[in-house]
This record gives sequence, structure tokens and C-alpha cells, in this order.
Amino acid sequence: MIEVDHLSKRFGATLAVDDLSFRVARGEVVGFLGPNGAGKTTTIRVLAGYHSATSGAVRVAGHDVLTEPVEVRRNVGYLPENVPLYGDMRVVEYLRYRAELKGVPAAERKTAVERAMERCGVLEVRRKLVRHVSRGYRQRVGLADALVASPPVLILDEPTSGLDPNQRRRIKELVRELSEEHTILFSSHILAEVGEVSDRILLIDRGRLQADGTIDELLERAGGRTLRVEARAPAEELVGLLAEIDGCGPFRELADDGPFGVVEAGVEPEADPREACARRLQERGLLVRALALQLPTLESYFAEVTEGGAA
Amino acid sequence: MTDAAWGLLATMVGTALALLLGLRFLAPRGFTTFKRELGSFLFQPIGWIILVLLYLVRGYEVASLLQRAVFLPIDRDQFAALYLQTSSSSLMLILVPAILTMRCFAEERRTGSLEVLLTAPVKDHEVVLGKWAAALGFFVLLWLPGAVVLPILATGGYLDTQLNMASVLSGYLGIFLVGSLLLAAGCFASSLTDNQLLASLLSMMFAFGLLAGPGYLQPYLAPGSGSFLEAGASDGGEVVASAYDDLVVWLRDTVLVPVLRQVNIADHLGNWFFRGVLNTSHIVFYIGGSAFFLFLTTRSLEARRWK
Repeated sequence: MIEVDHLSKRFGATLAVDDLSFRVARGEVVGFLGPNGAGKTTTIRVLAGYHSATSGAVRVAGHDVLTEPVEVRRNVGYLPENVPLYGDMRVVEYLRYRAELKGVPAAERKTAVERAMERCGVLEVRRKLVRHVSRGYRQRVGLADALVASPPVLILDEPTSGLDPNQRRRIKELVRELSEEHTILFSSHILAEVGEVSDRILLIDRGRLQADGTIDELLERAGGRTLRVEARAPAEELVGLLAEIDGCGPFRELADDGPFGVVEAGVEPEADPREACARRLQERGLLVRALALQLPTLESYFAEVTEGGAA
Repeated sequence: MTDAAWGLLATMVGTALALLLGLRFLAPRGFTTFKRELGSFLFQPIGWIILVLLYLVRGYEVASLLQRAVFLPIDRDQFAALYLQTSSSSLMLILVPAILTMRCFAEERRTGSLEVLLTAPVKDHEVVLGKWAAALGFFVLLWLPGAVVLPILATGGYLDTQLNMASVLSGYLGIFLVGSLLLAAGCFASSLTDNQLLASLLSMMFAFGLLAGPGYLQPYLAPGSGSFLEAGASDGGEVVASAYDDLVVWLRDTVLVPVLRQVNIADHLGNWFFRGVLNTSHIVFYIGGSAFFLFLTTRSLEARRWK
């Protein structure tokens, strides 16, 4: 549904997006992840037809953004980052106006607007002026606007930014619901969110695509699991004790915490050396304070890719 | 009303309807924009505040005009000109188009709603046409109460002669055309910046320049005015001086004077439209000028995509 080939976008001297290529297939929910200023919004604006690319080709729903901009926009429901809406209109008026602007036929307009309002949970503020509704409702009015013409593709730029945890949860549920009928590309810098909602993640940093894959694939790439052992003995002694255990990789001594030594070891995939370690430590009569198998997190991968690359 | 007046009225109403229907069927998204923008003029206080202030001034002006008419009978052909050529008219031409259009794109750009508007399946020119037509529609609404007063004056026995409705109507046609040009220029000014104040100042300067500029400059361009543009004004060597003089005179007579005459809004209104004389070249100038600025506005919106 979305095909981006070698997209670059330059603003004066700064290269905001640098040779970006990716695909989003029909029905996929793709999280567009990256630190602030990575080029997410710029890319999204090119997809939505607000900016033109400096070079490269972008096709959405089979239409080229450059040569058929109106066709592309007809197929895309777009929620911009700060949800700028006309404050002087009532919610329902605004959505009717947007439906008309998007070419929803007059006979279906009312139903389309009611349906979008119901899905996004803004029925209770329908008569309020847009500038008087709270941030959470505003976001949902924006989402209702994106949905109102039932476009096959939804592009949401930071749909949860500035919301409280409850509102955030509701938006996530909504996105999950919508994923049944729409192809969705949404951006965020909050990892947990992307992980929960999307099938696939595109990780970009400084305008370049750093990773593209499912969450599991990214986690695998993030490096293996680790075993963390804290016991009442010097760290070197612990390393010596645990060295022979099957499935434990290279050991790393971390700073001792008082009388406790802290050691971390890489763990081979599929292996679970916790029991063997516990037994070994018990044989020596050492007091064990912690023994934990740590899974790699998206956070650590994110940090590795976006900051590790810079160092 | 004479046949000519009826004909003119029918033409004006017909043109307005044709504009609306053309927008509705040729640029349906533009018509949607038009409705929303006109609504925002109608439901926001600023338009009504302008209306009240201007009609306070206008009421005072009309009252004093009528008092004068009691003592000095006014030529029926001149009444329209006197009625329309008051200082509130100049205010309405200089301030009102600027105020009506300053928000057009500047405000949308500032709040970011331009992004929402232009990522909807609309063409840029439809948005521009819709916004301009809405401003023009509200501009017409602002002038209407004044026009409604005229028939009352004409039939109520306040004047001892009958009004010449043809010249009244052609006066309003002139104001409509000038308004259309100034509003198009205002839209363009608004598309250049995200600062409403700057946009309104730009369009006020433009309107003021066109209204007052040519009238101010023309005396200096007349032969025998003794200005630097006069032949023989330079006292240099004889051969050079005469070549220079020829150039200056040529520039003055074939470029400056005709151009100034063509853009002299005050002259068009005061000596032609308000007196019931229609000149095709004036009408073409206003329609062409409006189209030119609307085209520039569309281009200026497009340029945003490429920056």
C-alpha cells in the first residue's frame, strides 16, 4: 500500500530524510519509530502529500505522490502531529465539513460522520467548539477526521503524544480496532506503544532507516539474553565458579555492591542456566540475592541503534 | 428604474450567481471551502464589529449629505457619486479587504491547520478560490445595508429628484470589482507570511497605493509640470541632454502615464463607475487583476511543497 523508494528530503542545508526505502503491505500496522528529529514527521508529510520529496519515489495505494497528489490524498487519512483543527467550529460541524471536503457524497455524509464520531468516542462533545475540547478529545476528533471518508490507508503522526495514560490506552485500542480494515502507519518515540500495537517496526535515525522488522526480529538483533547474578562473594570468585556452566557466555564483572558481587553473563539462545547456577552457588554455601534471566528490551536496542551509532 | 438600470441589476445578480454556481459545479471542494470560510466570517465578531463601526460613520455622512441636499438641490445623476464617494468608502476599500483576507492563509499557516487543509483531496486553486469567494461574499454583505438605504431615500421623499438607479448600480458594480481585486491581492499577501498583521499591512499598502498613488503622481507627469520628468529639465551637454530628454518623454508618455491611468482606482470609481459610465478596459483590468493575484496565491501555496 505504501512504497517508498530512495526518498530524500532536504531543507536548505539540512538533509532531513536520507535515502529512505520501505514498503507497507495491505492490512499491516507499522510503527514508525525514532528519536525526536529523526525525520519521522518529514517522511510522513511527504507520504501525506504536504511536502514534496527532494528525490526518490513515493507511491501510496498505487498512486504516485508527485503526479497524482489528489488521488493519494483521497486514499489517505492523515492525523498530523499537533492536530491543528479549526477552533471556531463545533465538533460535528467540523467533521461534516471535512467529510464534504473529502468528497463523501451528501447522502452518506451524516452516517459517515456519526460512525466516525462513535468509533472515536467523541459523541459526548459533538456540540462543543473544537477549541474548547480537551487534548484527548482533540486527538480523537483528529482521528475521526482521518477516518471519516474511510480511506484504506491511515497515517498517524504521534497519535498519543501529550495524552495521559488512560487516553493513551484508548487510542491504542482504537488503532488496534482500526487495523482490521485499514493499513496503518503510525509514528511514535514511545517504544512500548509501538511494540504493543504494530506488526512491524521501522526504526529511523538521522533520516536513515536503521532497522526494519517485526518486534521479535529486532529483539533478536538486539543481542542475546543475559543472566544477572548477585551473591555474597567477590565478583572474580563468582566468575570462577560459574565459568564451567553450560550455555553461559562471557562473563562481565559489574561493580560490587558492598559484600555482594554482581556478575552478568551472556546466555545462549534457548538455554536456561539459572537452575545450574543456583545449585552451584548453593553447593558453595553462598548467599544468593538475585538470579535473573534478562530479556533484551526494545529500549536497549533503540538506544544501541540511535546512540550507539553516533558514538 | 430605467431599462438600463434593470439590465445592469440583472447582469450583476447574474454574475454573482454564475460565480457561485461555477464554484459549486466546477470546483466543488472550493465551494465547500467557501461555505466554511463564509460561516467563519458570519459567526465571528470581527465582521460585525467592522459593520457597526463603518455604518456609524456612514450614517453620519449620509445624514449630512441629506441636509445639504435640502438646501442645495443635488443633481440626480450626481447623488450616487456623492453617496458612494464618502470617506467611509475609502476606509472600506483600504481597511476592509485587508482585514477580511489577513487571516486567509497566514492564520492557517500559524496554527498548522494549513497542513490538514492541503492534505485533504483538494487542489490548491480550489482552496484559493473558495477563500477569496468567501471574503468577496462577506465584502458584498458589508456593502448591502448601504445599498438598501438608497431606494428608501429615493421613494421616501427625502430628495426632491428621483435617483438615477443606473448610476447607483454601476457605482456598486465598480466597488464590487475593486473589492474583488483588493481581496485577491489580500489573499496573496496572506499566503506569503504566517503573520496576520504583516499580511494586513501589505494589503493595506497595496490598496492605498492604488487608490491614492496615481492621483498623487499624475500632476508631476503632465506636460508643463516642471518636474524632473519634463523635457529640458536636464541641463547637461546638448546632444546627451536631448537624447535623455527624448527617452524621458517617451517613458513618460508611453509607459508611466498609461499605466497610471490604467491602475487609477480612484479615477475609475469617481469619474466612471459612480457616474454611471462603464468602460470595458476598467472591467477587464479588475477581472484580470483578480485572476492574476489568485494565480499568484496558488503558486505561493504550491511553492511551500518545494521549500
